[in-house]
Amino acid sequence: MTDAPPGIDLNADIKLDFHTVSLTESPEVEAEIRSLLHDNGLDLDEQVETFVVCREKGRIVGCAGLDRDVVKDVAVAPSLRGTAVSLRLGSVVLKLAAARGHHDLFLYCRPDTVQWFRGWAFYPLVEVPGVITLMENNPLNLPRYVETLSRERRPGTTIGGIVMNANPFTLGHRFVAESAAKVCDWLHVFVVKEEAAEFSYSDRFRLVTEGLADIANVTVHHGSRYIISRATFPGYFLKDKAAVEHGFCGIDLLMFREHIAPALGINRRYVGNEPLDATTSSYNAAMKHWLSEAPSASAPIETIVIERLTVDGAPVSASNVRALLARGDLGGVEKLVPPTTFAFLRQYQQAGR
Amino acid sequence: MKLRRSMLFVPGDAAGMVSTSFVFKPDTIMFDLEDAVSPREKDSARLLVYQALRHPAYRDIETAVRINELDTEYGPKDLEMAVRGGADLIRLPKTETAADIELLDRHITRIEQACGRPIGQTRVIAAIESASGVVNAVSITRASPRMIAVALAGFDYLVDMQSERSGGSEPELFYARAAVLHAARAAGIGAYDVAYGDVNDIGGFLREVMIAKNLGFNGKSLIHPRQIQPLHKAYAPTRQELAYARRVIEAAEKAKREGLGVTSLDGKMIDPPVIAHAELVIRRAEAA
Amino acid sequence: MEIVKNAIAGTLESSDVLVKVSPSQDGTVTLHIQSEVIKQFGKQIRATVMQTLEALSVSAATIVVSDKGALDCVIRARVQAAVLRAADAQDLDWNVL
Repeated sequence: MTDAPPGIDLNADIKLDFHTVSLTESPEVEAEIRSLLHDNGLDLDEQVETFVVCREKGRIVGCAGLDRDVVKDVAVAPSLRGTAVSLRLGSVVLKLAAARGHHDLFLYCRPDTVQWFRGWAFYPLVEVPGVITLMENNPLNLPRYVETLSRERRPGTTIGGIVMNANPFTLGHRFVAESAAKVCDWLHVFVVKEEAAEFSYSDRFRLVTEGLADIANVTVHHGSRYIISRATFPGYFLKDKAAVEHGFCGIDLLMFREHIAPALGINRRYVGNEPLDATTSSYNAAMKHWLSEAPSASAPIETIVIERLTVDGAPVSASNVRALLARGDLGGVEKLVPPTTFAFLRQYQQAGR
Repeated sequence: MKLRRSMLFVPGDAAGMVSTSFVFKPDTIMFDLEDAVSPREKDSARLLVYQALRHPAYRDIETAVRINELDTEYGPKDLEMAVRGGADLIRLPKTETAADIELLDRHITRIEQACGRPIGQTRVIAAIESASGVVNAVSITRASPRMIAVALAGFDYLVDMQSERSGGSEPELFYARAAVLHAARAAGIGAYDVAYGDVNDIGGFLREVMIAKNLGFNGKSLIHPRQIQPLHKAYAPTRQELAYARRVIEAAEKAKREGLGVTSLDGKMIDPPVIAHAELVIRRAEAA
Repeated sequence: MEIVKNAIAGTLESSDVLVKVSPSQDGTVTLHIQSEVIKQFGKQIRATVMQTLEALSVSAATIVVSDKGALDCVIRARVQAAVLRAADAQDLDWNVL
């Protein structure tokens, strides 16, 4: 009797090899991976360093990229789609990530492939229809995060929210927060938790807290994985920069609108206008779209743009502060930041970083 | 002697295969914790195999566990699990000397005592995978009363010999096969031939099976369920062989009834070895 | 047994189950099960997982189970493996398995 019971594929090719490659150590593999991704309508995301690769008789038939705790660039040769190969690939990626200490993983995919990745035990979190979906492999995390946030709810009809990188916290940041706090019953400020900035997250967070300490109706919140940062967002699906921005903004802002804001009752999002940085200014424009115009099950959130604080005729910007600091112009820096930030920067400069 | 034609290797970490391999009805299922399982997953595989060993589905089929070598961090734990889990057989990889078997025997006894399993119930298969193993085969097969078979592992052996498979009649395996077989017969235990790696080439597989069967091998290590039926068929007697075997048994029983010592059939003496062989033929036929 | 870190065991493949274990946030056992046959077997899967945890004396943990049609014995084995990894346990008490 050779009838196979369900689940056992007697014809399954057992000659598949899975291994991990580092693109920096093995650059010759990159061309093969690019080719497979291209067959799947994808471009290689330049940030991804590590790939799990599946070979059949030496040829790459499956790949999955891992960038810290984000899975990206997943592709399987058309002939093997729908077979157990994809599931084995997923298992290997999960185990690789776990070996590196990442157990809760994000995954970005096209919305029409969400079902496939449900098989990888990922759950959709937020979707920009027709463009991109953000998934996570732990269904408990986001609800838990929301539940923790909601314990910080404050009463009121006008609840504001600000998300800032604050690299470092300047008088400009202070101005936006102060203006918002004046007209809101409560203001929630989130600090982006990303170590890609010049100043460490813990330093930035402390400066924000110190810089707003005297305002009674403000809560400063730690950032989280759910405040999406450019560092983790893939740039590969979408061929032109505008489309990338569209996707990134959509995911980040819908996450805010659908999960973070409702937890705290936020109905206004405040942001400083951005005359100097084109990327951020287009982000602010997108904000209006995703937070209030785009269709969503969640209530719209009003976007309020605050005119930048100017000092000596120029808008205060963190990048300017960093540039002045690099030149050693502490006098110039002092005009642009509150005393709490200045004390830190002076020490920082003296310590020679 | 129990029929041991087919020993199906099942990777210890493959949940699907571990759950369902019994349906293929090999003579023995061998859960592999050694080469089939990556170091990171050895702990998980060990627990999965333990559950399988205790599952009702595997109660009626002979179970074996290929443990890791005893001088690894995994081997002793594998052994503990396998004996406690009720595995019928322990397959010891890379057996080089009789002392390897003696050590294994002592450990098994200790564990049987600790968990209340009848002492001696757990049997052993020694896998010979090197030149030293082949050269020591005679003492290995006699090293313990737990020994029920010896298995030749071709790939590792050939690497050790600095040789490789040549297909056809394979002279490079001849001595190892002969040595292992003689050692097995002298000790009164079974012998398994090497595994055949190309699961898509049943023709080549069967050619190798016939070589081994004619030499006297009792069975073969298998790496895929689709090798089981062809193997069993190859070991099945022809109609003539079966008819003859039945006549032998009939003649022997008749002789017994009439109080005669030894009888003859078609001019040939029906002494105990002939009767034993006839019984084997009938058993193989029934199990085909 | 105390859960001190994150761990996973099992695979995504058919007839298997992927088990993720992490420390508890609130001192209790939180269990989430994902399965194509959740309607028919959800209760059974839950019972198997809880029994296994109990036998290992785990009273606080977060468990996420992604089931692909695994038998109870497979679920048991994978939960045990994930728990032992998450508890950094070296020695096994065979009586509780």
